[in-house]
Amino acid sequence: MSSMVRFTLDGREASAPEGELLVHAAARHGVFIPTLCHDDKLDPYGGCRMCVVGVEGSPRPLPACATRVAEGMVVSTNSNVPAFRKTLTEMLLAEHLDPNPGGRPNELTDLAADLDAEAPFILPDAKRKEYEDRNRLMGYTPDACILCNRCVRYTQEVMQCSALSLEGRGPHARIVPTWERSWLDTECELCGGCLSVCPTGAIFEKFLEGTEQPERELVKTKTTCTFCGVGCQLDLNVDPETNRIVKVTSEPHYVSNEGNLCVKGRFAFNFVHHPDRLTKPMVRREDGELHETSWEDALQVAADGLNRVKAEHGPQAIGFLASARLTMEENFLIQKLARSVVGTNSIHSCEAT
Amino acid sequence: MIGSNTTEAHPVLALRMKKAARKGATIVVADPRKIWLTKLAKRHLQLRPGSDVWLVNAMMHVILKEGLQDEEYIREHTEDFEAVAEVVSRYTPEEAEKVTGVPAADIVATAREYATEKHAAVFYTLGITEHACAVDNIWSLSNLVLMTGHLGYESTGLNALRGQNNVQGLNDAGANPAYFPGYQPADSAEIRQKFSEAWGVEVPETPGYRLDQIMSGLHDGRIRALYLIGENPAQTEPNAHHVMEGLEHVDFLITQDLFLNDMTERLADVVFPASSFAEKDGTFTNTERRVNRVRKALPCPGEAREDWQIVVDMAKAMGGNWPEYRTPEDAWNEFADLAPFWTGIRYDRIEEVGLQWPCTDRDHPGTPYLHAPSPSRPNGKGKFYPVEYQPPIEQPDSEYPFVLSTGRTLYHYNSATMTMREEGVVQKQEDPFVEMHPDDAAALGVQDGDWVRLVSRRGELEARAAVGERVYPGLVWMALHFAQAKVNWLTHDVGDPLIGTPEYKTSAIRIEPVGSALKPAAR
Ligand code: SF4
Ligand code: SF4
Ligand code: SF4
Ligand code: FES
Repeated sequence: MSSMVRFTLDGREASAPEGELLVHAAARHGVFIPTLCHDDKLDPYGGCRMCVVGVEGSPRPLPACATRVAEGMVVSTNSNVPAFRKTLTEMLLAEHLDPNPGGRPNELTDLAADLDAEAPFILPDAKRKEYEDRNRLMGYTPDACILCNRCVRYTQEVMQCSALSLEGRGPHARIVPTWERSWLDTECELCGGCLSVCPTGAIFEKFLEGTEQPERELVKTKTTCTFCGVGCQLDLNVDPETNRIVKVTSEPHYVSNEGNLCVKGRFAFNFVHHPDRLTKPMVRREDGELHETSWEDALQVAADGLNRVKAEHGPQAIGFLASARLTMEENFLIQKLARSVVGTNSIHSCEAT
Repeated sequence: MIGSNTTEAHPVLALRMKKAARKGATIVVADPRKIWLTKLAKRHLQLRPGSDVWLVNAMMHVILKEGLQDEEYIREHTEDFEAVAEVVSRYTPEEAEKVTGVPAADIVATAREYATEKHAAVFYTLGITEHACAVDNIWSLSNLVLMTGHLGYESTGLNALRGQNNVQGLNDAGANPAYFPGYQPADSAEIRQKFSEAWGVEVPETPGYRLDQIMSGLHDGRIRALYLIGENPAQTEPNAHHVMEGLEHVDFLITQDLFLNDMTERLADVVFPASSFAEKDGTFTNTERRVNRVRKALPCPGEAREDWQIVVDMAKAMGGNWPEYRTPEDAWNEFADLAPFWTGIRYDRIEEVGLQWPCTDRDHPGTPYLHAPSPSRPNGKGKFYPVEYQPPIEQPDSEYPFVLSTGRTLYHYNSATMTMREEGVVQKQEDPFVEMHPDDAAALGVQDGDWVRLVSRRGELEARAAVGERVYPGLVWMALHFAQAKVNWLTHDVGDPLIGTPEYKTSAIRIEPVGSALKPAAR
C-alpha cells in the first residue's frame, strides 16, 4: 500500500494516496475538475489544459490530470480557473464548423453547455478536408476533431497498433490512419479502442448512422463478452423501442479488461439480430423434411425419441455435447439431465480445452 | 509465452502483456510462427510444431546443470524431482537445436532468465494442448515451474489461457464424463452417493464416454442418440468427413442452437431455437477462474427460448422429477451448494465484480493465485512427472511434404457461425487463407493471393496463399474457422490417450497450385 499524504483543496484539509493524480484525488473529495484530453486508460498527458488548477508555489496553473498529489500541496480549483476554462472552450468551438455532427455524445459540447460558452465566431478556415474510409465499422469526421490526441495515444500506449497518426498542421491538421490508407490496410485490428476514447465522437461507429434513437436514451446492460476466455465486462447499449443492440461500450473500472475490448466484443454483436436466427422449434416428419411446430410438440418428439433409444439400447447409447457458449447454469442443468434423467455420464463438449 | 498467439486468441489479455512490455518486462515467445507478440519479444524461439517437450526439457537441463533450481522449494513443496532430473539430463540444448530448430544459445539464455527472475510466468494455450502429446506438454511445463519455485504469488505460475468464453465454466459445471459438478470424481462411490441423495435419483455408475469416444461410438453403434447443444462437431472436430458420416448413422439427433447449418438441416430430428448471451441471465467463468455475471438485455427472437429453460422443459417432458427452476440463479445455488469450491459464490456477491474460485464460504474473498503457498494436492506437494519426447504422429514425407499447423485468428470464433455474420468484421478476412513461406511459394510457382489446393491423407480443400515470413519453409498454417474450407477435413483424430484432445496442430499435406485467382464459386 502506498502511504497517504495530506494536502489542501480549496481551503479544506484533504488526503490521498501518495502519487494519486490530482483529478482523481479531487473527485474523491467531491470536487469535479473537467477534463478533455485525459482518459483513465491512458498515461497522464496534460495536453489541452482544460483541467488546470492553481498550485501554490507554482508560477503557472498545472493540469490536474497530469499532476500528482504531494505532501503539503495547496490546490485551488476556483480562483480564476473557470474563466480560463470558458475561454479555452470558446476557442475550441471557434475552430469547428460543425462541432457535433450526428448528435453523438460529445464532451466538448457538454462542457460548453455547463460553462455557458458559445463560439464567439467561426474561424474562416475551420472547414477541414473530409475523410472517407472503406471499412464498415469506424468513420472519422475531421470537423468534430479537437486534436486531443487521445485516439493516437491509445494506438501507441494500449493497442500498440501504430495505425493512426496526426497529419498536417494548424487548421489542416487531422487524424488519419497511417500513410492515409484505410484502417483496413494498416495494422489496425478494428478493436475500436481509439473510437472508445474519442471525447467528441469524431471517430464514430458507422453502423450507428441512421438510428433514430439519441444515444443518451439507449439502455445499458452490463454483461460478459461471449467470445473468449478473457471474459471482458461490457455494456450492451439497447434501443428500448426496437429491442436491438445498437453498440457496445465498456468502462475503465471494469475488472478484467479496464474498459478495453477487441473487435469481437465491440463489433461482432449483430449475429444476435441476424435474420437467420431460429425462431420456432422444428421436427423432421415422415417426408424427411424439417417442419416448424409448437414447443409442446417438439419437446414431446424429443423426449419420446430419447426415451425410445433408452428403452431399446440403454442409457449408454445416448450422448450429450454441451457448449462453452452456454452459461455455467445451463451446462450444470445439461449434465444433470444426462445423469439424473437419462442416466448416463456421457456428457462432454467439443471445446473441452 | 509458449504456443499462445495471445494477441489473436485473447486480445484484451494481450493488452496487459503489451503494457508490461512497455514497462520493461521481458517477453520470450516460443511459437512456430512469427506471431505479433514477437515484435515486443526479446527473443523468439521458432520451434517446430510438436517439439515443445524437447524445448522445455532442454531448458530444465540447463537450469539443473547450472544449479539455478530452487532447492528449498523442491525439498519443501514437491516430490519425485529425481525422476525428472534423470530424464532431462539426456536433453542437451545442442541436441534440442536439431529437433526443435531453436539455436542452443537461445535455449540456454531463456533458461537462465526464466530461472533467475523472481516474477516469471509461463502462459500457454491450445497451441500446447492440441497435440497428441497434450498432457506431456503440460507436465513438462509444470516440471519447469516447480523446479524454479515460480508459483503461488503474483506474476508467476503456469497460466492456461482458456480458449473460449466459458470453457472454464463448462468444465467446472460438470459437463465432463469423468467429473460431477465441481471436479468431484464420477468414479467415487461417495460422490455418486452425495449426488444421488441431492437429486433424489440414482446417478449412473458406468463411466461415460469422452468426446472422441462418443464420435467413434457413432460409427460402431454404441451411440444411437445425440443431444447437441450449441455445437457443430462436423466443423470443430478433426477429421470432419468422418464425423459427418458418423452423424448419419445416428438414430435420433436433437440440436439446440441459434442457427441451422448444413449438418443440422440434413440430419437433425428435432431443432430447438435457442438463446444468445444477450438474451439470458447466468454466469461465465473466465480464464482466471473469475465467475462473471451474464445479464439479459433482450428477449429471445420469436419463440426461441433460453437454453436453461429448454433443458428444464426437456427434463419435464422426459418424466424427470426436478425441483422448479424459476431463474438461472436457482440452478447456480444448487450447483454452489453441491460444489465446495463454489459454495461462497452467490449472485449477490458478484453484482459488481466477479469472484475467483476456490471460494468456500460467504466470507471467503476468492482466490487470485492457485498453489499458494504450496501446490494444491492432498499432501501439499507438487508432483514432478518425467516426460519423454514423442514425435508428432504424422511426419511429412515425399508425398505429403508440408507440415500443416492450425489455429485461431482474431476475427472469428471457432466455427464462425456468429462472427461470419458480421460484415464489418469479415471485411478484414473474407476468404480461407493458408500462410506459407516465400521460398515455398516460389518453388510452387504461387503468388500471394493465389488459390491453392491442400491435400492430406484424409481430404482436401482450397484456400488463398498468404505468402509471408510468419512461417518458416516447410510449415504452412491455416485457421480453423472457415465453413467453406473446413481445415478439419485435413487433420486427423488421433487423440491424446489420456484426455482425448485431438491433434489439431500438425498434419502432413501437399500443396497444388490451382492456377486461378478466382474464388472457387466464380470459376
Ligand atoms: S481500432 Fe484499435 S487497432 Fe484500429 S487503430 Fe483504433 S486502436 Fe488501433
Ligand atoms: S479523433 Fe477524437 S480522440 Fe482523436 S484527436 Fe480527434 S477528438 Fe481527439
Ligand atoms: S472483448 Fe475480445 S478479448 Fe474481451 S472477452 Fe470478448 S473476445 Fe475476448
Ligand atoms: S484534461 Fe488535463 S490537460 Fe487535458
